[in-house]
Amino acid sequence: MSISEQQSLKQQVTLLELVDRVLNKGVVVSGDITLSVAEVDLVYVGLRVLLSSVATLEEPRERISTAGAAR
Amino acid sequence: MIHLYGVVEELEALPPVAGVGAGPLERCRVEGLDLVVSREARDGGEVTQAALLSHANVVEELMARSGAVLPARFGHAFTDEQELAAAVRTKAAGLTRTLNLVRGCLEFGLRVLGGDIAAENGSGQLSGRDYMQARLAVERGRRRLARELHEPLAELSRASARFGGASSDLLQSAYLVPRRDADTFGDGVRRLEAAHPDLTIVCTGPWPPYTFAANGEADA
Repeated sequence: MSISEQQSLKQQVTLLELVDRVLNKGVVVSGDITLSVAEVDLVYVGLRVLLSSVATLEEPRERISTAGAAR
Repeated sequence: MIHLYGVVEELEALPPVAGVGAGPLERCRVEGLDLVVSREARDGGEVTQAALLSHANVVEELMARSGAVLPARFGHAFTDEQELAAAVRTKAAGLTRTLNLVRGCLEFGLRVLGGDIAAENGSGQLSGRDYMQARLAVERGRRRLARELHEPLAELSRASARFGGASSDLLQSAYLVPRRDADTFGDGVRRLEAAHPDLTIVCTGPWPPYTFAANGEADA
């Protein structure tokens, strides 16, 4: 993964963390929140996919470094 | 409709940014609490990326200019000042308590992936009982690892929260850290990264204290 790709991924993770906070956290002054649960779930799904892809992208690099050490 | 951004303390002047739907920011006082709001002509609360970013941007700007900020959750617009005032009045004591908690603090988020230890021994010949015991041992190991990651960071924080019970993430948590200790907290995260190169540790922040504003409200 190039540095610019890493930065773009980090920005996306940060954006999704932000959306999670703004929609799911923060003080609720009124008891009535108009946002539907379905939309919130989508946010979580998006974040999961992204973080999984971070983990997947990390793997090849680990394998390369292990192969390098064995030589 | 009135859109609420948060409850603030020691805000010198409103930030020079527009609110959701380009409405200008305003302040109002209810029960001695200082609120930052904007007005929307049409029915507000529509969830678009632009609206969320605009809300978040105002909260960030307030953080930079205030002694304490309780960020409001996006998703409810008030019909008029009376409705807003009535809602704030019923929660005033809890809001004041939470303002005291978050004063001078930043929030950091942590997500940790990995820590999967293979439960099966490869042959697949385990009895049902042995399989369940092996699964239990794995689960205990993951819980212990999550605690080992969480506790040193929680010790550096004024408050902390763990969530995502049903999630497959090893750890999902948030930390309320005094501004002056933010560097120490960053060092703490880097120490964990160095000690666990096999895990994917994603630390985000500093955020306004969204998580702790919500928790304080729940406790009130």
